[in-house]
Amino acid sequence: MTTPYLHIDGIRKVYGEVVATDHVELTIGESEFLTFLGPSGSGKSTTLYILAGFQDPTAGDIRLRGQSILRIPSHKRQIGMVFQRYTLFPHLSVGENVAFPLRVRRMGRAEIEEKVRNALALVRLSGFEDRMPSAMSGGQQQRVALARALVYDPPVLLMDEPLSALDKKLREEIQLEIRRIHQETGVTILYVTHDQDEALRLSDRIAVFNRGRIEQVGTGAELYAGPATRFVADFIGDSAFLAGRLATVSGNRASLRFPDGTVATDVPVHGGGTVDQEAELMLRPERIELTREPGPEGTTLPVTVQDITFLGNNTTVVLRTGWQQELSARLSFGHPLVGGIGRGDNLHIRWQPDVAQAFATP
Amino acid sequence: MVTIATTQRRRRSGLGMAMPAILLLLAFFVVPVVMLLTRSVTDPEPGLHNYAALLGSPTYGRIFFNTFFVSGLVTLITALIAFPIAWALAIMPRLPAGILFAVILLSMWTNLLTRTYAWMVMLQQTGIINRMLQSIGLIDTPIQLTNNLIGVTIGMVYIMLPFMILPLYGVIRKIDPAILQAAALCGASRMQALVRVLLPLAAPGIASGGLMVFVMSLGYYVTPSLLGGTANMMLAEFIVQQVQSLLNWGMGGAAAFVLLVVTLALYALQLRLFEPRETR
Amino acid sequence: MLLDFGKLGSWKWILIAICTLTALFLLLPIVFIIALSFGSSRWLAFPPPGWTLRWYEELFADPRWIQSALTSAKIAIIVTILSVALGLLASFALVRGRFRGRAVLRAFFLTPMVLPVVILAVALYAGFLRLGINGTLTGFVIAHLIVALPFSIINISAALETFDPAIEDAAVLCGASPWEARYRVTLPAISHGLFSAAIFSFLISWDEVVLAIFMASPTLQTLPVRVWTTLRQDLTPVIAAVSTLFVVLTIVLMVATALIRKGTSK
Ligand SMILES: Nc1ncnc2c1ncn2[C@@H]1O[C@H](COP(=O)(O)OP(=O)(O)OP(=O)(O)O)[C@@H](O)[C@H]1O
Ligand SMILES: [Mg+2]
Repeated sequence: MTTPYLHIDGIRKVYGEVVATDHVELTIGESEFLTFLGPSGSGKSTTLYILAGFQDPTAGDIRLRGQSILRIPSHKRQIGMVFQRYTLFPHLSVGENVAFPLRVRRMGRAEIEEKVRNALALVRLSGFEDRMPSAMSGGQQQRVALARALVYDPPVLLMDEPLSALDKKLREEIQLEIRRIHQETGVTILYVTHDQDEALRLSDRIAVFNRGRIEQVGTGAELYAGPATRFVADFIGDSAFLAGRLATVSGNRASLRFPDGTVATDVPVHGGGTVDQEAELMLRPERIELTREPGPEGTTLPVTVQDITFLGNNTTVVLRTGWQQELSARLSFGHPLVGGIGRGDNLHIRWQPDVAQAFATP
Repeated sequence: MVTIATTQRRRRSGLGMAMPAILLLLAFFVVPVVMLLTRSVTDPEPGLHNYAALLGSPTYGRIFFNTFFVSGLVTLITALIAFPIAWALAIMPRLPAGILFAVILLSMWTNLLTRTYAWMVMLQQTGIINRMLQSIGLIDTPIQLTNNLIGVTIGMVYIMLPFMILPLYGVIRKIDPAILQAAALCGASRMQALVRVLLPLAAPGIASGGLMVFVMSLGYYVTPSLLGGTANMMLAEFIVQQVQSLLNWGMGGAAAFVLLVVTLALYALQLRLFEPRETR
Repeated sequence: MLLDFGKLGSWKWILIAICTLTALFLLLPIVFIIALSFGSSRWLAFPPPGWTLRWYEELFADPRWIQSALTSAKIAIIVTILSVALGLLASFALVRGRFRGRAVLRAFFLTPMVLPVVILAVALYAGFLRLGINGTLTGFVIAHLIVALPFSIINISAALETFDPAIEDAAVLCGASPWEARYRVTLPAISHGLFSAAIFSFLISWDEVVLAIFMASPTLQTLPVRVWTTLRQDLTPVIAAVSTLFVVLTIVLMVATALIRKGTSK
């Protein structure tokens, strides 16, 4: 087996009583763009800080090209980083900021000048050399920070929610820039965000963090189509969860019985296996079909319309099951039912056997 | 409605409430100081001869030299000590930082004469400092530490240290640690990060604290006169001597005027340099 | 990572060493003087050959020390009251006032703090000689008040700035008269500022030397003036005893301030 480019090997970090990360295990390929996605406090930054050398892990190792880097102090790790907060040196101009890593490496003047010029061109800020950071917008400052982090060709670039302080439009603009820069430079990027759209838009692969652990790693499509845990299913994309109990189990497939007696048959089940265990059926709203007639036995459920909201390109219908649980379905524009249904109507939902999944409640 | 209207009218002015303080300061601050300064050009006879004598003669030049030299030296030494202290205060764990703070405040708020007296005793020929220096073999015979500028400098550094540490602490505490983390990742060693990032970012605090210490030292009276003796006079002592012992109000007024101008000029500089940045 | 104490490496120990030495430097004179005040050596030998309360006995046996302590206290209390009252009014004007030149007025109020006190002392000395109030309680109070007032204004206006006047308006809408609203709502809300102002004013007056030297007469002397005149003659251990009492007072006031801060921040 070849050694992975970057190997985060069983990292655990404890602050006093708080376990910030535990068993974080991950390999990252060269030139890969991998995103840590997870809610606040799930240990994303902690993992990144350990990579940067700002924190020492309680246990575990980090290897770059097979060599452990934990013993190397931050300033010798060569790693690049863009922070959530603006961290340009406020007393230095933009050009001096980008030149800083080269100056401390005692490079020649001509070389520095050329590299600074290239780096600023890369982030499309040529000609801003003499500006002071305080005279630049947040988006520009983060681009300068990116140039400063890339100017010394780091083997890994860390980005800790670099866009969270920017407004939505600017954020999307810079996301495109980051993608382009990733393609142009081929730098390996570890990116942190708690915004799933951002994660899906940017990354090759996503590692979903929850409570200090990685729940699942995979491409966006993999996570969306085949979430390994209820948490991932909930975190990536919209989803509806219907609570019931396992009726029959065979291998990793099962049937679920809902409180109103309806049964969903032959769905893949995660994390469980005993009959009568509590479990939830997960459906994606856009894959739920709404019909007047019930569908084939085992893939259908009677519901009542609660509310209808027109949202332009789709219409969201809030539904209620016989046991008073709410879920929503999406009807695309021009769907025959749109306009034909009203609050209180009794309808049915149905789903294709391959889009439903069940998660047993531990 | 009526009450709101009165509330608003009441707010519009408010100058009246400042009047007692304004009148007090006018009567017992502005008027006496102006009268003192006037005497510098009227006493003993009208003209600028007091200033000519003050700024022209080498005896008086010595006093200016002492004043500026000691103030500069005190500023330099306090800055050198205060920077690491303020830095440590800003990043230390809560408990030791709290203890250090308490020590600084205690020394700052202890009666000035008490502190000066302590140094007078400690710096005596037979005092504890001389004995310590002797016991570690730095000197053979006791050296003269009081009644000269060494004593004045030590005593003043002691008194001025808090005035340097506190503003500097305020500035360093506001620096985002992530900026120093960024410097480290950029490849800067601790020394490079110190010289190229932390010091420049702390510079406003150093300058502002330094200016304050310098200005305060220029006009300091008690410590220089108790620890320095009459042979090494500084400006404040000179003013007192002229007025109290020699009844030479004109010369005293002239020296006071020089001190006042330098002080207010540096104060204005301080306001211009540092106030807008702090309020922004 | 110079701003992360845990990641300073060996520099951490350098900082700790500097802090320790400086703390010792700052504490040394205070501890030293306290020790000497109980030492039996008339010549302040250290370490003292024996321990005694003699200097405290001498201090309390001398009515002149007691007298000047009472004078100091009287002046300091009057100055504190006046300084807080004037400072409160002036702060209202500075913070709530809507007239032009407030920034200038503020700078004007603070100048006595910047001006070398020796200039003020000499100027007031001349003025008071003319007015005939030199060596009187009035003279002392006026002189101390001028240097105490800036500190009072700084503390009170800082507290007032963080207090939202809308709350006072709300009280007025509830039926309180404007003055009643101030008294019942605003004053309690800024009480920590008033308290700091009082402590500062008291300590400044109590410790004031330079002005006091010029204001004093042979019959009316504050404690610092007595210390000063005694010091110029010899370094008697009685001064160490006085100094120790000064230190105790400072510690008491510091602890009181800290407790009150804690109380208001909760
Ligand atoms: N220096 C620290 N001391 C103590 N606890 C810490 C420290 N840093 C982080 N933690 C704790 O560790 C856990 C993980 O924090 P971390 O900052 O890694 O989360 P995150 O996923 O980056 O969250 P966010 O999205 O809010 O940035 C949290 O519970 C946090 O409170
Ligand atoms: Mg984070």
